[in-house]
Amino acid sequence: MEAQLESLRTEALLTVAACTDEAQVEQLRIRYLGRGGELTALSDRMREVSKEDKPKIGKLLNETRSAVTAALDERRALMVAAHEARAFDGLDVTLPGASFPVGALHPITQLMDRATGIFRRMGFALADGPDIETEWHCFDALNTPADHPARNEQDTFYMPDGRLLRTHTSSVQIRTLERVAPPVRIIAPGAAYRRDEVDATHLAQFNQMEGLYVDEGVTLADLRGTLEFFFRELFGNDAKFRFRPHFFPFTEPSFEVDIQTAALGGGRWLEIAGCGMVDPAVFEAVNLRRGDRGLDPERHSGFAFGFGLDRLAMIMAGVPDIRLFTDSDQRFLSQF
Amino acid sequence: MKVSLNWLRELVDFQQDATALSGLLTNAGVEVEGIETRGVSIDKVVVAQILSSEQHPNADRLSVCKVEDGSGMPRQIVCGAKNYKVGDKVPLAQPGAVMPGDFKIKVGKLRGVESEGMMCSSKELGLSADSEGLLILDAAAQVGASLKSLFPGDTVLDLEITPNRSDLLSHEGIAREVGVLTGRVSRLEHVLVPEEAAGEVSLAGACSFYTARLLENVQVAASPEWLRTRLESLGLRSINNVVDVTNWVMFESGQPLHAFDADKVQGSLSVRYAREGESFVALDIRTYQLGPDDLVIADETGPLAIAGVMGGQASGVSDSTTRVILESAAFESGGIRRTSRRLGLSSDSSYRFERGVDVAGVLRASQRATTLLGQVASAQARELQVGVGHADVDSGALLQGLTPVRHVPFRLERVTALLGTPVSEVRVNQILGALGLTKNESGWDVPSFRGDLTREVDLIEEIARVVGIEHFPPVTRAWMSPSSDTDRRYDRLMKLRRAAVGQGLFESRTLTLVSEAMAQSPFVKGPVLRVKNPLNEDQVVLRPSLVPGLLIAAGRNARAGVKAIRLFETGRAFFAEGVEERTHLAVVIAGPAWTPNWRCSSVAEVDVFDLKGILSAVLGRPVQFSPATASGDLGLEVTILVDGKVVGVAGQLRPSASRELDVPGSLLAAEVCLSGILDAAEGAALYRELPRFPAVTRDIAFVAPQDLAHQRILEVLGAAKEPLLAGVELFDVFTDASGEKVPVNHKSVAYSLTYRSAERTLTAEEVTAVHNNLKQRIISELGVLFRE
Repeated sequence: MEAQLESLRTEALLTVAACTDEAQVEQLRIRYLGRGGELTALSDRMREVSKEDKPKIGKLLNETRSAVTAALDERRALMVAAHEARAFDGLDVTLPGASFPVGALHPITQLMDRATGIFRRMGFALADGPDIETEWHCFDALNTPADHPARNEQDTFYMPDGRLLRTHTSSVQIRTLERVAPPVRIIAPGAAYRRDEVDATHLAQFNQMEGLYVDEGVTLADLRGTLEFFFRELFGNDAKFRFRPHFFPFTEPSFEVDIQTAALGGGRWLEIAGCGMVDPAVFEAVNLRRGDRGLDPERHSGFAFGFGLDRLAMIMAGVPDIRLFTDSDQRFLSQF
Repeated sequence: MKVSLNWLRELVDFQQDATALSGLLTNAGVEVEGIETRGVSIDKVVVAQILSSEQHPNADRLSVCKVEDGSGMPRQIVCGAKNYKVGDKVPLAQPGAVMPGDFKIKVGKLRGVESEGMMCSSKELGLSADSEGLLILDAAAQVGASLKSLFPGDTVLDLEITPNRSDLLSHEGIAREVGVLTGRVSRLEHVLVPEEAAGEVSLAGACSFYTARLLENVQVAASPEWLRTRLESLGLRSINNVVDVTNWVMFESGQPLHAFDADKVQGSLSVRYAREGESFVALDIRTYQLGPDDLVIADETGPLAIAGVMGGQASGVSDSTTRVILESAAFESGGIRRTSRRLGLSSDSSYRFERGVDVAGVLRASQRATTLLGQVASAQARELQVGVGHADVDSGALLQGLTPVRHVPFRLERVTALLGTPVSEVRVNQILGALGLTKNESGWDVPSFRGDLTREVDLIEEIARVVGIEHFPPVTRAWMSPSSDTDRRYDRLMKLRRAAVGQGLFESRTLTLVSEAMAQSPFVKGPVLRVKNPLNEDQVVLRPSLVPGLLIAAGRNARAGVKAIRLFETGRAFFAEGVEERTHLAVVIAGPAWTPNWRCSSVAEVDVFDLKGILSAVLGRPVQFSPATASGDLGLEVTILVDGKVVGVAGQLRPSASRELDVPGSLLAAEVCLSGILDAAEGAALYRELPRFPAVTRDIAFVAPQDLAHQRILEVLGAAKEPLLAGVELFDVFTDASGEKVPVNHKSVAYSLTYRSAERTLTAEEVTAVHNNLKQRIISELGVLFRE
């Protein structure tokens, strides 16, 4: 019995070590440890062992069982590990990835939303007004005389009823001041129209971002601070600015803003915005319409600014032709 | 406006070079758009005459010339050009000359033959951007004369003058500005000599002050060198001494002048409006049809000039002219602008009148031109006639040389209030004084040449401009603003746009102005709005629908090879009735539901259910489609409902209509009015308890007539109001055209019903009872056949 156990143990350990897959290990478990297994059969013969030999043989039997079980478990773990390791053999991980296809926001929407986010961080709320605008809101209230060239039918689209398609989003300044008392701090992204022949840099319709801040004690310093903060947020801290005195009927003093930044090609000055301190004549025009003195040029001051989103998006992304923005070519739209 | 630096330096003594001056002007609001150099500014370039020319012994393309350069010793020059002949006079750069690009001319050998200088082309001298061969000079040019004397050097600045600064449309005006910016005093020395008017010109139009001076013994001839070259450097063509003097004075003082041949004028001059249908041949030899809005200068026979715009061919100064009427006047700007635009005719003169001329400069310019014409054309001044067309104009004062002034109140503290940083009183006085203003107790007197300075704020702008923006450092302040309704609408719209992007759609921004054809959309019906003055027929109507623009874009994409076309746009649509401007959403999809890839090479074409799924996802709530009668290009048309309300139209184009647009496969579109959706108050989302007990799922499958709608089955199940029924999901629809597996005109449908209780785990018996109950309802209400 003792010799039989010894030889079974040796044989079992050798056979287990020779297994090459998980199934063979399982077969051996049945062969040795199963209900009719060889070791089970030997255990059954314990009854035949003499009383004095029983502790010794019993101990040997348990040791053998433990050793075989351990060998089987170890071998099985090895085989599983080897099998799992082979599962990815030969997989070409350079094959293209797959994802649920998503679209893209239009580059002008992306820029508009970024700009909106920056101005909101500074405490500007959104405002809007209609595309079809009255002459009063678009020109008269903005201190633009009746014989101003911009009001000509050659430059501006008119409706049969005498209204027009707004030539700038500045009309939203008036729409807002008509309704709200200072402090007024608004931005207004929107469409504007000019009766231009279409070419690589002109569309009859374009997108502007308008801004207005009217309160007591607003100065040119606030205008500079606001616009410089905005464009630094947009282009980075290296941006340098030039506020060139200019002329707009609805601001006094007026400036054009030039910027120099690595994000826009570095070296040259690029004209990116118009701005100025709100002309008192604008306040008076709105007062006249409202029938009150809600805007007192002695007490209130303000600044206004505007810039073209299309032009800015063109410069930022190096887009050579403005018509790409309205062509809806998915090959273009998917680049942003 | 073009400004000659040579001329400017005669009027104000400044040290800056062209680049530095440009910086000063630009920072003060006078943008310099270009700097051009004129003439030759290189030493040691002289006129040389070619004496002989022979083939170079060692180079086919070169020749060896002998030239005379005034030194008495012929020089040998190797030359590559071919465009000369012996005897021609050409520019010669002598040894020691420094050409543009710091290229020094030396004596040296070219292919073994000595060359004592270089014969030059006009490009090499910087006279033109490119040129072929040598610059052949006039045969009269004196050998040995320097090219600098033949082509005097000058730098010309091209300035953009803003429309409020008519005072800067002259060299004197720019000189005054440069004086202010550089701290130098400008020499504006032509002061008016008081004189008397001998007669009156009849004025019947928008002209505030008119002067006409008779000049006799005029000798019309070519202009002297100084007059000709200066006008040419400003890009003007020299005509004759009389016309050139009028141009000179205009560029000097900003006051346009006109010279009539007095012998061609019949009777007396008058300023009047043209008669309807009156025609006129201008100096450009074109005939203009004038109307009662156009101001003219006329004699007894008809118009002699379109006032302030252009003179007439017939009354112009010619070689035979001996008597001249010199006009100097202040026409009102609006009328000149309208006439100039209407006739499509503009001139240096109309450009200045449109922006307004200084009434006090009218007579001064006339006197200045008279003096110059005396010098260059021996003209003798005779009587002056004047006309006054405005009650505010005091011709007596103007004839005495008194400049009208306007009083503008001014408070120093308002400078700080508006600009944020104080400017000292001394500096303010210095700036406004240099600009030509005079201080008085309560403000400043502004001379008439600064018509743009009428209010305190205008003076503050002048101070800001001259001091420069750097004096006013930026501040950043923290502000708070409550959100507006526009903010909320904007945020909802952006959320919706991002949801569309999440559905694989690309955002379009098409044009709002569309053609008549594009305004005919099956998606939106009703009267449209048109602009009165479209530029072309592509942009006539304010779009009532966004879909047509996207359908055209779909075709463009298909032609470009894009397979899966997925576009959306949100934007304004316009209506002649009801709310005029509404925010719309449009979606256009075509082709495969997504771009096929290596793992899935066959992809189904999009259909109406893709569109429905996209719209539900984009709008963030389930949409219902209800059948509608298809019209126009649509093969399938449905009404879109959200929460039971009609919000738009969707459909699939007929295959022939898709092909018309170059889209090969299925093409679907939807248009939704977002106004109500964006305006709706959006409550915060509320938590619903997560299920704690397991659900039980049971399937049902039955055969139903083809026309039994899914919606109807849902309604029957819903009507049971079974509290344990937690969900109904359709998982199969099957039809068989042969009728073998499912009868013809029938469909087999399969639903998965989910049961759950919030309080306990359901028993099989409970679920079976409820499930059988629901099956019975379906059988009795819909009369369908269950497949067991």
